[in-house]
Amino acid sequence: MIEYLIDGPLWYFALVVFCIGVLWQLASIVFARSKTDLSVARGSATGGAWRNVFSRFVPHHEIAPQIRIQVVAGYLFHLGLFALLFFAAPHVLFLEENLLGFGWTPMPHWAFIVSAQFAFLGLIMLWLRRVVNPVSRLISTLDDHVAAILTFVVMLTGCFALLEGSTALRLLHRFTVEIWLIYFPFSTLMHTFTFLPSRAFTGAWFGRRGIDA
Amino acid sequence: MVYFLQEYFFNCFTRSASIILLSLSLLLPQLSNAAIPQKHEDFPQGVSAINPGSELWREVRQRDSAVTGISQVKGVETGVLINSRGGQWARFRIENPVKYAPMVLGVVFLVLVLFYVLRGKVGIEGGLSGQMVKRFTEYECIVHWTLAIVFLFLAVTGLILLVGRPLLIPLFGKEIFSLIASASKEGHNLFGPIFLVSLLMMLFSFVKRNIYEKGDLAWLLKGGGFIGDGHVSGGFFNMGEKTWYWIVILIGLVISISGLVLVSPNFGQGRLVMEISHLVHVFGAIILTAISIGHMYMGSIGTEGSLEGMKSGYVDINWVEAHHDRWAKECHENEMVISAEEYARLQGSKPDTAMEKEA
Repeated sequence: MIEYLIDGPLWYFALVVFCIGVLWQLASIVFARSKTDLSVARGSATGGAWRNVFSRFVPHHEIAPQIRIQVVAGYLFHLGLFALLFFAAPHVLFLEENLLGFGWTPMPHWAFIVSAQFAFLGLIMLWLRRVVNPVSRLISTLDDHVAAILTFVVMLTGCFALLEGSTALRLLHRFTVEIWLIYFPFSTLMHTFTFLPSRAFTGAWFGRRGIDA
Repeated sequence: MVYFLQEYFFNCFTRSASIILLSLSLLLPQLSNAAIPQKHEDFPQGVSAINPGSELWREVRQRDSAVTGISQVKGVETGVLINSRGGQWARFRIENPVKYAPMVLGVVFLVLVLFYVLRGKVGIEGGLSGQMVKRFTEYECIVHWTLAIVFLFLAVTGLILLVGRPLLIPLFGKEIFSLIASASKEGHNLFGPIFLVSLLMMLFSFVKRNIYEKGDLAWLLKGGGFIGDGHVSGGFFNMGEKTWYWIVILIGLVISISGLVLVSPNFGQGRLVMEISHLVHVFGAIILTAISIGHMYMGSIGTEGSLEGMKSGYVDINWVEAHHDRWAKECHENEMVISAEEYARLQGSKPDTAMEKEA
């Protein structure tokens, strides 16, 4: 019964909530009304947008020493998680059989493990930085902590099911993934989709005004 | 003539003897085989009681001596079909580490409870002042807590793997325990290398201030202030903290290396190396877990004002003077002490919040 629920209706429900929720959030940003900028353009908005999208991948040299931990831990976590999500053999197989109908070459098992270790180390350090640093602690909301802990739990249950020999552990992982998918559109996890548009928007705003930032 | 007859009879005799000996040599094995059923006349059906493969399996089990065969599979100990020492190792593991590990941890826990009941929380003369000194950087706090979280995870999963069978099966049953054990094994193996990385970060972050120096021995002789009421002099780190640091680093490295030997059996290490690594790993882990329980006690409910140092990186100046007077002198000389208001501003809280929390 539980197996049927998790592999069937709950999975489809989570997927629908995730897709509609993400689209709704993105649409609300795209169609949000903003005042027409009547100022005379001092620079290219498009150029500013592109510049900002890529320049923010590297921290500004003036603040780099203060944010070294979150830059290193951030890259460890996000690159590790990306590799895990899209190149771990069980995930590639799952996507092929359940969603896409086609697959691609997964990474070898050792790379899978190393990616998971990077992701875990990065996530732990990022969350600790959030609670240790007074400024981060003050601006963090409950949602930030829930999102981090939920992501950690999903990764942990995935780690528990690594052996791929137990249906119960696989179901536990899938269940946590479903909870994560349902929570995703209503949380700061949305930055997965919004970080590029927000960088572009800010960059365009700066670019039009000739601000080199 | 006589000579001829002698030679003739001698030749006949030798030929006859040769034929008889040859016949006997051919017949004897048959006779020896035929003799087997005769030994067991109790079995009228003629079934032999001796398993014809018993000698073979005795060799395979290597009860008498170690025998290595030949196999197409090339690798470590692939020529050994059954290693009866495996059973001895399993018994040894159950009768020693599995039996004594919970006892050691239980005794440490009870000693700390007893100590807390008898001695109570080690306070600071005059209480906390609210004036603070920065002791650890943000990075050092993060490294400490990363190592702590990973270590706790490994300790719990490791204990489940070590003593879960006798302790958890009666509670949860075999099916649930098999899930917990399988999950613990995967989690333990995956987090092990993260522990090593965290340990190396800890090594490089704190090593300079943990070199032993003059005055540390006096701290040891006074039991770190727990023996008697006399004041114990200490620098930035006292001898107890330095010793704990080196225990973590050295035993942590031993545990990590032995763990890597166990988790990567494809580097040519044999069964004996794996068994020794297992013992070293368990022994080191139990020692580190036992002492870390003491460290957690000392860093939280055991000593007033200690936890704040690793929560915010700041410690109360009265705490510094009570436990690290030589460093306190440096703090005053270099004007490192900040007011309660300034500390509250840096932490983004009201001035009295920290004091209330400590109280």
